[in-house]
Amino acid sequence: MKNRLRTLLTLGLALGAALHLAAAKKEINLFGWSEYVPQAVLDQFEKESGIKVNYETYASNEEMLSKLLGGAAQYDLVQPTDYVVEALIKAGKLEVIDFSRIPNMKNVGAEFLRQPHDPEQKYSVPYMAGTVGIVVNTEKVKQPITGLKDVFSGTCAGRIVTLNDNRELLTWALRTLGRDINTITPEAIEAARPVLAQWLPQIKVYDSDSPKTSLLGGEVDIGVVWSGEAALLYQENKKFAYILPQEGAHLWIDSLVIPKGAPHKADAEAFINFILRPEISVLISAAFPYTNPNLAARKLLSPEQLGNPASYPAPCKLEAFKDIGKAASIVDKLITDLKGGS
Amino acid sequence: MAATPASLAKASGGQRPPGFTGWMLLAPLLLWLGLFIVFPTAILFVYSFCQRDELGQVVFEFTWSNYARIIDPIYLRILGRSLWYAALTTGLCLIVGYPVAYFIGRSPPRRRSLLLLLVMIPFWISFLLRTYAWISLLKGEGLLSALLQWSQLIVGPLEVLYTPTAVIIGLVYTYLPFMILPIFTSAEKLDDAMIEAALDLGAGPVRAFTQVILPLTKPGIFAGVLLVFVPSIGMFAITDLMGGAKVSMIGNVIQNQFGQARDWPFGAALGITFLALFAVAFWFLHDRQGAVK
Repeated sequence: MKNRLRTLLTLGLALGAALHLAAAKKEINLFGWSEYVPQAVLDQFEKESGIKVNYETYASNEEMLSKLLGGAAQYDLVQPTDYVVEALIKAGKLEVIDFSRIPNMKNVGAEFLRQPHDPEQKYSVPYMAGTVGIVVNTEKVKQPITGLKDVFSGTCAGRIVTLNDNRELLTWALRTLGRDINTITPEAIEAARPVLAQWLPQIKVYDSDSPKTSLLGGEVDIGVVWSGEAALLYQENKKFAYILPQEGAHLWIDSLVIPKGAPHKADAEAFINFILRPEISVLISAAFPYTNPNLAARKLLSPEQLGNPASYPAPCKLEAFKDIGKAASIVDKLITDLKGGS
Repeated sequence: MAATPASLAKASGGQRPPGFTGWMLLAPLLLWLGLFIVFPTAILFVYSFCQRDELGQVVFEFTWSNYARIIDPIYLRILGRSLWYAALTTGLCLIVGYPVAYFIGRSPPRRRSLLLLLVMIPFWISFLLRTYAWISLLKGEGLLSALLQWSQLIVGPLEVLYTPTAVIIGLVYTYLPFMILPIFTSAEKLDDAMIEAALDLGAGPVRAFTQVILPLTKPGIFAGVLLVFVPSIGMFAITDLMGGAKVSMIGNVIQNQFGQARDWPFGAALGITFLALFAVAFWFLHDRQGAVK
């Protein structure tokens, strides 16, 4: 009897130890943009902390939202863009981040903090930022380009690539009219309609995924694109200049956030703190030349990296997007209508 | 609507009900249809009467508004254009594909399998890859442009990429095999004796074709037309990549609702409307074909 009890006890202990070991193999689930976090960074984090990072990717904010809200997978970290962060906060879908675990937050520049999407900076940590601006093939386009009105003046008609993004297109028109870019009402739509009706037929290609392709191929000579694309073009050939439109430009910030009910919140915070280390952040900048909000990391960048006008453009009037909720439908309808008419 | 094995058996002239073995043989197909066609369509149907919240999640509150929105001239115009492009694609595929299919079907068996292989080979390569290949062929600084300029057939670079013409080229290229294969199957089964009889009885080649060959290959043409017409209406990748996303087709509009616009209920309503249109069109065509027989 006593023997059997001892066997049971030993078995129990062994089982307990095995369970403990399994629990000790820590991991976090990162749901991020495709081509945005270098594998070397993930490997080094795992080596240092013993926490394995499962990196699952998405290609658009909307794809991410539908998976996140579908609720099937348990993500610990997501990388949404500003206006989506705002919508997620409004809907109560994010955890408040414990910044006492993230001392490296001090490296982030003040101009990237307390933005309209997270005014108290409780839910998000800036990962990378960028702008939407004008990229010009200076060998082909000789006249000076300073703003959107130069792009769409007619002289470049049929040689233009723009993002295939309905909200961006509308925003450019609103800005040219001097209107608020975040007030999307039926009245604002009607005001923008004649401007866009004149602009859209001049566009040769709409491409959000890789607008640099048609510029490199010589299919078009001028574009209104993400700064990251422009930075890569500049790296390829210095003839591609990047200009922030004088009407004002869209500043976007992709942040790291922790979804409500994330199973490994503390480990996720450890990962955020790791990412914000200057020597790690620099690795991300080297692979993906966006605007790095980490000022301590910027000091470690080469003069050439800092000199890339698309990554670090001259200061100008920058504005972030706010979530427009259901108004997305009327924006979609406007652009569909105008494209359909051409 | 769904054809039961019993009704299928009746239609094909069989008398016996399928029995247990018949049902077992059909089970995988029925399960697949149920899980991946009927069930998702039912979800779409329910969604199409729902609303969306600020975040783009579906809210289960009944509304007709999604269907009311479809009648808007914007969407009707795009629908009209999609139908026109799909019809053009189908017509071109038929004109190009029929002779090819007929030739393959009438070739000696060994050459026939080689020719069929040539039709199938493109399927071994990813669709996206082939589309990108077309982009580099058609672009202004591309191969075709250089060739045409060198041979002095055109002056200045070729201006085809990112136009409706490029979209049609892409559509015809993509769907041509779907026209060739069913017509080939019909042409292969053609009895030479029938054609000989027609010629012996005094029919010229044109009459033999229109009165004997064409009616006998009609099932293949019918299947080919369906296989090309239906998917080309809903295509969105080619219009995005080769049309520069300028020429919206109804497929792009639907895709946008599930993406950027975050309006799943409206997208669902568009999808369901489409399905209904196809069902009606199919019924009509099928009935008429039956009447001709």
